[in-house]
Amino acid sequence: MSNTVRFWLMVLPGTVFLVVFLLLPLIAIVVFSFWRTESYTLIQDWNLDNYATIFSHSAYLTFLARALVMATCVSLVCLAYAWPVAYFIVRYGGRYRLILLLSTAAPFLTGEILRVAALQQILGPIGVVNMALTRFGFDPIEALMYSNMATGTGLVYLWLPFMVLAIYLSLLNFDFALLDVAKITGAGPLRAFVEVTLPLNRAGTAIGIVLVFIPTLASATTSQFLGGPDGALYGNILARQFGSTGTWALGSAMGVVLFLASALALVIVWRAVGDLRRSGIVIKGAPKP
Amino acid sequence: MSDCMLRLQSVTKRFGTTMAAESVSLEVGQTELFALLGPSGSGKTTLLRIIAGLDAPDEGRVLIGGRDVTRLPPYRRGIGMVFQDFLLFPHKTVAENIAFPLKMQGKSRAETADDLKWVSQLVRLTGLEERYPHELSGGQKQRVALARGLVSRPSLLLLDEPLANLDRELRKRMEVEIRRFQLELGIPFIYVTHNQEEALTMASRMAVMREGCLEQIGDKLALYHRPATAFVAAFLGSPNTFEGDVVGVEDGRAEIAWHGHRFWSRAHDGLAPGLRAVCYVKSEKIAFASSGAALAGRLRDTIFKGQYADYLVCLDDGHEITVSAAPDLCHRPGEAVGITWAADDGDAFPAVGKE
Ligand SMILES: Nc1ncnc2c1ncn2[C@@H]1O[C@H](COP(=O)(O)OP(=O)(O)OP(=O)(O)O)[C@@H](O)[C@H]1O
Ligand SMILES: [Mg+2]
Repeated sequence: MSNTVRFWLMVLPGTVFLVVFLLLPLIAIVVFSFWRTESYTLIQDWNLDNYATIFSHSAYLTFLARALVMATCVSLVCLAYAWPVAYFIVRYGGRYRLILLLSTAAPFLTGEILRVAALQQILGPIGVVNMALTRFGFDPIEALMYSNMATGTGLVYLWLPFMVLAIYLSLLNFDFALLDVAKITGAGPLRAFVEVTLPLNRAGTAIGIVLVFIPTLASATTSQFLGGPDGALYGNILARQFGSTGTWALGSAMGVVLFLASALALVIVWRAVGDLRRSGIVIKGAPKP
Repeated sequence: MSDCMLRLQSVTKRFGTTMAAESVSLEVGQTELFALLGPSGSGKTTLLRIIAGLDAPDEGRVLIGGRDVTRLPPYRRGIGMVFQDFLLFPHKTVAENIAFPLKMQGKSRAETADDLKWVSQLVRLTGLEERYPHELSGGQKQRVALARGLVSRPSLLLLDEPLANLDRELRKRMEVEIRRFQLELGIPFIYVTHNQEEALTMASRMAVMREGCLEQIGDKLALYHRPATAFVAAFLGSPNTFEGDVVGVEDGRAEIAWHGHRFWSRAHDGLAPGLRAVCYVKSEKIAFASSGAALAGRLRDTIFKGQYADYLVCLDDGHEITVSAAPDLCHRPGEAVGITWAADDGDAFPAVGKE
């Protein structure tokens, strides 16, 4: 009896959170996505028109594809950048580890808009980089101004700390002495990394990728400020449905599509991780094969 | 040494203020099983790590096969090592763990399978190949670690307490197997242990280590029967300790006065009449004697140990001496006994520290 009570006491907060903040909104947008909007009001009139619109107009899918490509590139760049940073902090950070880690999150102290605005000051046509180039008689770098490159840079800057954090936490649990074994048995540094370090931190790395990929897929603010007229991503179009055009039902359908795309990405990453035992993760009480 | 495979030249390693290795010089021959014996924290693991190249010495040089490898990374040294804390790869199965060195050497699948089968039988792991390390007992993990070290057929194998977690039966068997395997391979093994029985069983030569220094290196019988320092004398075997005054020194012998008794023993450097001395006599070198006994007392207790027994003899003045002898001697508790030992069976050293 008391065990049941304890069970529910422990389960309840998480359940309430999930229901209120995840399940209810999700149900709401799924429901709305099958409705209709007319002059800024939702009308309960069950139909599939919103989905038909999304899948018949190539514009929507193009924006989704752009967002997917952007999210993939941003994740890969973050990955390549975060690994050495996290590795260095864990291996050589000593007692300054935590400070070093927190300092990678320093940009978060300023809030999102300010962060993007700051990047504008650096990358934009009158930003520091191009001003300096013009000043010294060079041509400004077009790619830095209101382009996908600028958006990508901004997104990497925005989400990098999450990737660093995920890999950092994973490496904290990694026994570096295992590298001694690899070295003695004849593995050079690269081989040891591929055979030992990477597999044992695969799950943590996957979490980092998910933490970067999914928000990037949905992002709107960064591309709005840095992407320029042709830099809109799926998130910008989606936001427009709830803003200027007021087509909430269509926006909801777009949201559902985004949710499914994110879920699919999650499944793919999870599949790529595969058998958790191959990542050195012990599942207590798991049946032996 | 003509066939010297490994040579350490005054290797020194400090961790902060700890001297983990202090001017260690050592030579190990081509086909030797060399044991490194010492109490916990004496620097055995540190020395192995320096030989393997995992730690760089602060001073000194490491030569393998006549070549200076002091600055060579571990993966270029061709050394095998069995680690004290196993260090199995948690994401690899037993078979993959054992085959890892073979994989790094680029051995073919068939060769790998053969070696794997052979070594699994050797360390009795057959049937566990598909398990993950967390599904093994401590002893099984140790056997996997041992198998991984043996299978690579290195030019030099370092073993850091490879049998510490095994039961007696398995340990005895593995001792024989390791020895046989070493002869078969014809490569030197450096075998670290704090179990002197293991060292004495397996090694041809051995060294006793203490606080980063090698106290004595040599033939195992020499170390056991002719200890060069008080530490070695006290460390090997289970000696009785007599602390007394030196009465006289002549011909490499010293006469010690100990609580009104006098006896002779081998004298080591620094003994002179009037000084305090500590004399060590191994318990199995003391014998019961009916006549001409050096000391007389009563038997207090007999501790049966299987192949032998420890007889605790309480001298008339209250001091207790342990005599190891055959377990079937019909002495009864309380019985009056006399004990004696030959002068060459005692080793007297100047007493240090306590006056
Ligand atoms: N990485 C390190 N940092 C600081 N001190 C160390 C380090 N490694 C070893 N030491 C110290 O060096 C000394 C020798 O350690 P070592 O591990 O070589 O001992 P050992 O003889 O192998 O002992 P055991 O039988 O317990 O394994 C110890 O005093 C230990 O505390
Ligand atoms: Mg050790």
